[in-house]
Amino acid sequence: MSDTAVDKPAGDLMAGHTVRRYDQELAKLRAIILQMGEHVIEQTQAAVAALIQGDEPQAYRVLDREPQIDYLSLDADEEVFRVIARRQPTAVDLRIVLALSKIAGEVERAGDKAARIARQTLELRQQEQDGELLVEPLRVAFQTLDDKACCMFERSVRAVTSFDVTQALVIFEDEPALYAAASNLRDLLGESGDDGLVPRQAITLFHCAQALKHIGTHASNIAEQVIYVALGQDVRYRNREILIETLRHRGY
Amino acid sequence: MNTMVEVMDKTTGAISSADLAQDRPSAATVGDVTVADPRMTCRDVDVWYGAKQAIKGVSLDIGKNEVLSMIGPSGCGKSTFLRCLNRMNDTIDGCRVTGSIKLDEQDIYDKALDPVPLRAQVGMVFQKPNPFPKSIYENVAYGPRIHGLTNNKAELDELVESSLRKAGLWNEVKDRLDQPGTGLSGGQQQRLCIARTIAVSPEVILMDEPCSALDPIATAIIEELIDELRANYSIAIVTHSMQQAARVSQRTAYFHLGDLIEVGETNQIFTNPQHRLTEDYITGRFG
Repeated sequence: MSDTAVDKPAGDLMAGHTVRRYDQELAKLRAIILQMGEHVIEQTQAAVAALIQGDEPQAYRVLDREPQIDYLSLDADEEVFRVIARRQPTAVDLRIVLALSKIAGEVERAGDKAARIARQTLELRQQEQDGELLVEPLRVAFQTLDDKACCMFERSVRAVTSFDVTQALVIFEDEPALYAAASNLRDLLGESGDDGLVPRQAITLFHCAQALKHIGTHASNIAEQVIYVALGQDVRYRNREILIETLRHRGY
Repeated sequence: MNTMVEVMDKTTGAISSADLAQDRPSAATVGDVTVADPRMTCRDVDVWYGAKQAIKGVSLDIGKNEVLSMIGPSGCGKSTFLRCLNRMNDTIDGCRVTGSIKLDEQDIYDKALDPVPLRAQVGMVFQKPNPFPKSIYENVAYGPRIHGLTNNKAELDELVESSLRKAGLWNEVKDRLDQPGTGLSGGQQQRLCIARTIAVSPEVILMDEPCSALDPIATAIIEELIDELRANYSIAIVTHSMQQAARVSQRTAYFHLGDLIEVGETNQIFTNPQHRLTEDYITGRFG
């Protein structure tokens, strides 16, 4: 017996079942979630572009596409039920199924945030007076927050493909930058009276900023589930700094 | 093997390392083989069938009022180990057992110890129900009678009834105690065998795949019975059913090629086993 046999995780955590159909069922569940994740990234980028450019047709397209993510989340739920009923998963398989179920919820809610930005964009267009709504500093701040949130979310989806603890840690390390970008945007909106925004518009934009920040938070929640699958440890509600330090110390 | 296990503090996230080897007599086992209140204590048990070693240095406690399940692929040694616990292997030519197995501090392999009363103290329920070709009453009464556990017929009647009640069979057979035990259904026969085991006042009940020949309903009844029996007995069960091990036991031990690979709380073994071999086996990746 090799001493290294106790080292975990190793290889593709979802593969290697004697019943290969089981591998396929788990792979199908993950594929649905990855597809949802790709849609969310596209939706978020499209919604923020619509907001910055004041592009109503683009905002409508985002809203039209939103049900795709909802339907995929129903498919994911159905697969979760099937795998539990057929396979009675245990150990890492149980963690994978539970985590993917929670991740599907996180991704679906992130999709809702993209749709919320699109809805707020349409609301802003209705409120808008003549001229540009977003002055340059606000555009830059929104783009910065969007880049950070989308980067985190994209990384979280990538982390799910291999339950990669290192990728999950990078997401945790990105959180301060996300919060800083959100805070900067909030400060700018607080001072926006000087830029011609009426309070109602500022509040609507604030909601958009919050939605973007929450997309980043969903990415962090997904990263927590990735660690739960890979290491078998529930790291929700843990002190982030200590967690990052201890896992880095373990070589991740 | 000197296994370092990292333990994470649930509140702070801080991780500390613990060397399980310090607490493990067995060199190869992950997890704590000891319990606070042991009924049986096994240390460094080796079993040989001629030149072939079937069990390699296994140490394991069986606690009072606990169900310990032993799982592993065919040929891993779990049934061999179970049979060591009441010296059933004594009957196999060429079988040699070394190490220490104690029941309440008494070495059960002490040359002076008579294995017959030991097998009353450590009873066994087998894979296939094996009632004697006698009446239901006699199946249960036989053991107490040969061990001289009762003084008269009334006491024997009472013991038969209480044993059948504990085995959850009384209400089904009370009106036909004189009928052959072999005429019962498979699940009833297995409960009759459990009643027969209980009748001689054991401390430990060993079960070797007790439900493998039963349908799901009979299996559920036996599992419910195992849970009730735990209040009075220590139970060690060998099972090929992962789900059964997860349902009935408080601790689980995983065997592989004669090694005890991992032992731990059943919840932990089935949600987060520490050894890859354990995980591969219980998740169906073995082989």
